[in-house]
Amino acid sequence: MRYFFALSSLLAGLAVGRASPLPELFRERLKSVVAAEFFVQTEIERRPTFVLGSVIDDRGTVILPGAAIPPGIAPAQFKDFKVYRPDSAEPFTASYLGQDAFTGWHFLRVEEKLRTQLVPITRWVGTGGEPALGEELWGIGLRAKEEDCQPYLLSAKVGLITRLPQQTAILLADVAGPGLPVFNRDGRLVGLAQTPFGQNYLLFSHTQNATPVMLVNVEESSVVLLAAEVLPYLGRIPQDVQGRPIAWLGVYGLQPVDPQVAKFLKLENQSGVVLSDLLESGPAVQAGLQERDIVLAIDGKPLPHFKPDRIGAAYFGQEILRHRPGDKIALTVLRSNERREIAVTLGDEPRMVREAARTYYERLGFTAREFLVNDSVVQRIKPAEGRGVMVHFVKPNSPAATAGLRPDDWVREIDGEEMKTYDQALRKLAAIENDAGRTQFVLLVSRGGETTVLRAKLN
Amino acid sequence: MRKFLGSLFCLALAVAAPGAMSRGFNRLLDAVVRIDVREVVFDEGTRRFTGGVGSGIIISPEGLILTNAHVVSPQAVEISITLASLERVGARLVGWDHWTDLALLQLDLGEVKKRGLKFTHAPFGDSAALHIGQEVYAVGTPHGLTRTVTRGIISNTGRYFEDSRGVRGYETGSYNTWLQTDAAINPGNSGGPLVTEDGSVIGINARTYIGAENLGFAIPSDVARRVADQLVRHGRIIRSYIGLVPGVLQDLEKFYSLPGNTGMLINSVDPGSPAASAGLRPGDVLLALNGAKVDGRFPEQLPPIQDQIARLPVGSKVALRVLRGGQPLDVNVVTEQLESHVGEEWAFEKWGLSVRKVSRAYARENQLADSTGVIVLGVQPGYVAAEAGLGRGDIITKVAGQTIADLATLRKIHDAYAAHPETLLVDAQRGHRISFYVFKP
Repeated sequence: MRYFFALSSLLAGLAVGRASPLPELFRERLKSVVAAEFFVQTEIERRPTFVLGSVIDDRGTVILPGAAIPPGIAPAQFKDFKVYRPDSAEPFTASYLGQDAFTGWHFLRVEEKLRTQLVPITRWVGTGGEPALGEELWGIGLRAKEEDCQPYLLSAKVGLITRLPQQTAILLADVAGPGLPVFNRDGRLVGLAQTPFGQNYLLFSHTQNATPVMLVNVEESSVVLLAAEVLPYLGRIPQDVQGRPIAWLGVYGLQPVDPQVAKFLKLENQSGVVLSDLLESGPAVQAGLQERDIVLAIDGKPLPHFKPDRIGAAYFGQEILRHRPGDKIALTVLRSNERREIAVTLGDEPRMVREAARTYYERLGFTAREFLVNDSVVQRIKPAEGRGVMVHFVKPNSPAATAGLRPDDWVREIDGEEMKTYDQALRKLAAIENDAGRTQFVLLVSRGGETTVLRAKLN
Repeated sequence: MRKFLGSLFCLALAVAAPGAMSRGFNRLLDAVVRIDVREVVFDEGTRRFTGGVGSGIIISPEGLILTNAHVVSPQAVEISITLASLERVGARLVGWDHWTDLALLQLDLGEVKKRGLKFTHAPFGDSAALHIGQEVYAVGTPHGLTRTVTRGIISNTGRYFEDSRGVRGYETGSYNTWLQTDAAINPGNSGGPLVTEDGSVIGINARTYIGAENLGFAIPSDVARRVADQLVRHGRIIRSYIGLVPGVLQDLEKFYSLPGNTGMLINSVDPGSPAASAGLRPGDVLLALNGAKVDGRFPEQLPPIQDQIARLPVGSKVALRVLRGGQPLDVNVVTEQLESHVGEEWAFEKWGLSVRKVSRAYARENQLADSTGVIVLGVQPGYVAAEAGLGRGDIITKVAGQTIADLATLRKIHDAYAAHPETLLVDAQRGHRISFYVFKP
C-alpha cells in the first residue's frame, strides 16, 4: 500500500512538474470519472437511473454518492449496471458491491477490460492540505448518455469551509458533477463533489408575487467533501452486498442541544445530543441509557458544536457507525444535572428494509414484507409485539388499492385470522391469490395507531 | 334545451301564484335572529379577538336561542343578537355541544325588560315525521344578508356525516344523523332554522358542501330539542364513552357469516380505552348491546348505536355480545366520560406562546404515554418561545423541572416569570422526539 502511494505521488509529481496547462490536466483526470446507468426493478416497472461516480483503485472500483440510490431498495432489484467513460457511448458492465453505512457511498466494480483505461483519484493526491478561502478550484461535469456523456469543465472559488460534520468546502458556483472529484490549479485532488444543496429563490410571475421556492441543480454541485474526509475511507469496500456489519446503538431519536441550552446546562464550547425513542432491549437500553439523557462525549471526546445545530445529531450517528458491532464505547451523559459514564457494547443493526424478505401478489395487488425491528419503533410497540406483515408496495388500481390499502400499513389479520409470522401470512396470501373462486379478502390493518378493516374485492 | 328551460319557467310561475304564507310562518320569521359574535382565539402565540356572524332561532318565552356550536363557542366574549324588530340586545352562552353542533344562548332579559323589547319564539315540529320530498324553508343570515328565506325540499332524512375536526377542530356527527335539504344554505345560515310551511322548526341548519349545489345539512329538531333541554338543565351534555370506533358492515355480512340484518363492525378500538381494557379487538362484530340486537350495516345506522352507548350513565356496566372468529363472546365494559381531543386553550403573553392542553383523547390518538403536557398552537415571532425554537405542534411536557400536568401549573410558572424573569429549561417533544429549549428573559 505504501508502495502504491509512493508511486502515485511520483507520477503526480511528474505531471505537475511539467506545469501542465488546464486542458491537459482536464484530459488526464477524465480517466478517473465515469457515468453509471442501471435499472431499479419494481413490482410493475423498471426505473432507469443515471448517476456519476469516481474511480478509487486499480481494481476498477467506483464510488457513487449515497443519494444516488434511494434507500429501502433491495440490491436484487438493481439490474444491468452499465458504466460509460466520458465522451463515449460504449457500455461496460459493472457489478454492485453494496453500500457502506459510514460514508453512505455505493460501490461498483467495473469489468476487467475497462480497468486499464481508468486511473484512480488517489493518483492525484497532493500534499497541500485544505484549499484556501477564495482559491479557484475546478472539476468535471458530464452530459447525459444521449450526448455520449460529453465532459465539460466547471470552476469556482471556495466561499466557505465548514464541518457538516465532515470538513466541507462550499464554493461560489457549481464545480463538478455530484460524485466527481474536484481539483486545484495544479491538478491535485481537493475533494469529492457531494449531492448539491438546495438554494432559496423567490419566484415572481404575472399572477403571483414572490413565492419562495427552493431550486436544486441535480447535475452539478458546489459542495465539496475535502480529500482528508474521503481518502481514509476509500478502503471501506463492502464485504457483503448489504454493507454489513453495521454498528447499532438502538436509539431512534437524536436531537441536538442548541447553544442556548448548552449554556444553560453549563456546557462550555461543546454540545450534546438528547436521546429519545430508545428501542427496548436495544444496546443503549441494555447499557442503562434512558430517554432524556444528554450525551456529552464519546470515549471522552466531547461532542463539538456545529452550525446548524442538527449537524450535531448527524455527527453522533456517524461516530457510532465508525465502529463495528461488539465494540465497546463509553458515553458521558448528563442525567438530571449529574454526569455519568455509561459503557455501551454496540450491537449489529437489525435487518433493514432493503434486506427484508418480501413477496408480491400480482392478483391481490400488493407486496407483503416481513415486520422489522425498525417497524416496531414507527408503530410505537415493543419489538416482541411485532407480528404480521408490512405493506411494502400497492399496485395502483389493484384490488388492494381500491380497498384503501397503502404502503407502510401494518397488516395484522388476514380474513379474520391473526398473523403471527411472516411465513403464516405468505401461506395465507398465496392461498387467496391462487384460489380462482375467491371473490374477496379482508385485512385488518394498523395505520398511525388506528386500525381499520379493509375489504378487497377480487374478480 | 329550449323546451326544458320553458317548462322550468312555467313551474316557477305556478309556485309564485299561491300568495301569502301562513300565520305560523310569519310568526317564525319574527323569532329568527342574527347573531354577531366576538370571540377570543389563541393562535399565533397570542390572544386575539375575531368576529363572526350567524343565525339563531328563539325557542322559548325565556329568550332561549338555539344556534350552532360553530357559531357560538365558550370562547365567545361578546354575543349580540339582532331581533326581528331590528333591536340589538346582548346574550349569554348557556351551554354548547360540538358533537351535535348546537349551542344554546339566552337573551339578556334584564335589558329586554328595561328597554321594553318584544320577541316571539318558534314552536318545534316533529323531525321524525318528515318525508323525503317535503317542502321546507331555510331562514337565516347568509353572507350577512339578514332575514333571507330560501326554499327547498327534504332530500334525505337520515344522512350520516361524521367529522373528527368538523366544529372548530372539535369532533362532530358521531351521535346524530342529519337532515339533507336542497334549500340554499350558505355561510351565515348556520344556526338558523329549517322550517315547514306552517312555521314549525324541524331542523337547525349547520353545514353545506362547498362547491356543490344545494347540498345542505341540518340537525333534526328532535335532536336539537333534547340537547337544548339538557343544556338548560346542566349547561353541558355528559356522554358515556367506551372507545369503540364503528365501521360499516355493508357487504361484509357474508364474510362474518351473520344472520340477516345484524351486527356492527368494530373497526378500531382506542388504545387504553375501556373497550381495549375489556379485551375487545378491531374486527370483532358487535351483535347486541345490553341484550338488545344491534344493526349497524349501513353508515346512517351507526350514530343511533353510538348514541345508545353515549346515553348510558358514566361508570355503568355495558354488556356487549360480539362475534370473534365465528364464535359469540360476551364482554362487559365499564363506561367512562366522553372527552374531546381538543383541550383547554390559553396564551402566555410574556412568552408569546399559545397552547392547548393535551387531552386524554388527544394522547390516545397520537400514541402518547399519557395526557401530560400542552400542545403549542402558535408562537409570536420575536418573543421568548419563538426565540427558543419552539414551533406549532411541539408538546411541552416540563418547564423548570415541573411536569405540566395541567394548565394551572404552567400559568403559575408564567406568572412567576412575569414577576421575576429568569432563564427556564423547557422539555418538549416533536413527533415523539425529545428536545430541550430555554426561555430567556
